Amino acid sequence: MTLDWLDAFLITGVFSVVMIAGLGLLLHLQLGLARIANFGVVGFWGIGMYAYGVLYVKVDWPFGDPWAFIVAALFGVVVAGLAGLLVGWLIADLDEDGVLVGTLGFATVVFILATTEDDLTGGALGMGGLRFPYNIGSVKANELLWLVILTAIVALILLYVWKVHRSPYGRLLIAVGANEPLAQSLGKPAFRTKLWLFVVGSAGMGLLGVMYGVLERFLETSNLGVDLTLAAMVALVLGGTARIWGAVVGAVLTIGFFDIVVQSYLPLPKEWYQQAIPVLREMVFGAALIVVLLFRPLGILGDMRRDKLMRSMHGD
Amino acid sequence: MNRLAAWFSGLRQRDPASTVVGSIIVVILFVLALRAGINKALVIGLTEHAPLVLASIGFALLYRLTGLINVAYAETITLGAYFGVWMNTTFGLNFYAVLLPAGILAGLISVATYFGIFRPAKRFNVGALEMIIMSFGLSIFLRYGLQFVFGYPVRFFDVPPPQTIRVLGVGVSTFRLLAIGSVLVLSLALYFFIQRSRYGLQIRALASDEDLAQASGIRPLAVTVMIWFIAGVAGGLAGAFYGVNSNVAPLLGWRQFLFFLLVVLVGGSRGLGGVIVTGLAAGVALAAMSLQFSQTLYSQLFLIVAFIVLLKVRSRRLSETGKV
Repeated sequence: MTLDWLDAFLITGVFSVVMIAGLGLLLHLQLGLARIANFGVVGFWGIGMYAYGVLYVKVDWPFGDPWAFIVAALFGVVVAGLAGLLVGWLIADLDEDGVLVGTLGFATVVFILATTEDDLTGGALGMGGLRFPYNIGSVKANELLWLVILTAIVALILLYVWKVHRSPYGRLLIAVGANEPLAQSLGKPAFRTKLWLFVVGSAGMGLLGVMYGVLERFLETSNLGVDLTLAAMVALVLGGTARIWGAVVGAVLTIGFFDIVVQSYLPLPKEWYQQAIPVLREMVFGAALIVVLLFRPLGILGDMRRDKLMRSMHGD
Repeated sequence: MNRLAAWFSGLRQRDPASTVVGSIIVVILFVLALRAGINKALVIGLTEHAPLVLASIGFALLYRLTGLINVAYAETITLGAYFGVWMNTTFGLNFYAVLLPAGILAGLISVATYFGIFRPAKRFNVGALEMIIMSFGLSIFLRYGLQFVFGYPVRFFDVPPPQTIRVLGVGVSTFRLLAIGSVLVLSLALYFFIQRSRYGLQIRALASDEDLAQASGIRPLAVTVMIWFIAGVAGGLAGAFYGVNSNVAPLLGWRQFLFFLLVVLVGGSRGLGGVIVTGLAAGVALAAMSLQFSQTLYSQLFLIVAFIVLLKVRSRRLSETGKV
């Protein structure tokens, strides 16, 4: 199989679109349904990536690669889930300000630990030694297969979000987001709901972090900046916080435009790609958040479509 | 001493859990400070982290009086530093001459963000959650936008090497002494301005009940603009002091954001005085821990975790209240 027609940039571009769509979908459950603004997406993503990477590289595995990868990846997901449990417990009964502090603080703590514990993580220098758990020929073919696996995972996340929308749990999330004291006074376990939301969401973010770490084959603390949180949030807000497909549409429009169209297809001077384009990208993302929330707060797709049960109860 | 004990027992009755946690944190910090040498921790903490107090005062003003967590306040600080370094290196002005105009420019930017974004947002009835996300977007926009104006490389203030003065046996640069001096002057001035002056009364009235304030003849727009301007000036000055102590980079303000946010949330419930005390305590704590730990980042880690735990413990009481 020759893959000469395939641009290497294109694989990474599509990979980031799919990954950000996945992160946006998980954020949608938190921000769109339960109305919790998670500013620490990168923390959960990063702790999954680092937990996986450290276990995979530092342990002398007695068995071969697919199994070593699976154990290490599972560890990354579990660690991210536990972090979600901790952060969820911290912020479950706080208001917006407390949520901002708790999630942002968590992301900062992850960044600090990744930098200081350089015996384990390689610190600011980064750490190599990660690789694909298979080898089917060229690097490009391996990357392409990895992209297919990621797409399958994100499709599963989409399916999960779709199921949540049509389940009692999803309606509970919406109720807690709309009016928590009311939901509580009706006997709904708001606290436990939020905990579960954060455990599942964070574990999913951790898994996406594992996927990214393997593609890059190198762990860097510079990945743990605020850019990733911003990307997921912009994708979700632009597409529509309340809709299932919002994050997907938003990720294609934002990350797809900058990481695929601008990166590979626009005839721009070479030197712009060094500094001007990345800076412009973040600037446009920031402006997009302001403009969308000011003029179309529910994003491109608009308001939530209620499921059959709710429509039959309230009319539509 | 008796009054202190009475105050403490009153606090314990009102809020037992957070008093216990707070006391534990204070004791740990005190032991750390003792081991590091109390004079060193005090002098380094107060002088090096004086800009943190300045930034916290400005942020607290905005937060207490408009109820808004403005993430973009971090960029007001960064812009203050950039304005300072621009006037300092382009026109060859002295650092002390640059301070005031840099602060005023940052204040004007702060007012401009109010008119450009936060005032329309309030008119469009943007919710509290969306407001935070919007200010986050503004923060990112300004942080990257200023690189197109001021250039990508890290910049440095062009100042003669600062003189070192010995205070309590610890060497301190003159810029840092100036920083702590201006923090004291500014916080005293602000305190009296808000507690004693006519405008201060209007600000407090507006913060507690906007409709009532308007009915009693207060012009909300003028007072609100004043708040944004004062907060911007405080942030810009903080940025200039941060910049002269190390360098001027786009992330200058953002790196401090979590700290002044925590200082304001933890200390803010006791008013502006609480913010100042908490800010100074955080500075001394950071210095004491930096002298002890092998890496400076550990002191930040400890401070973040301690403050978040304190917030969590304190919020337990409030969880029952809510709007039904």
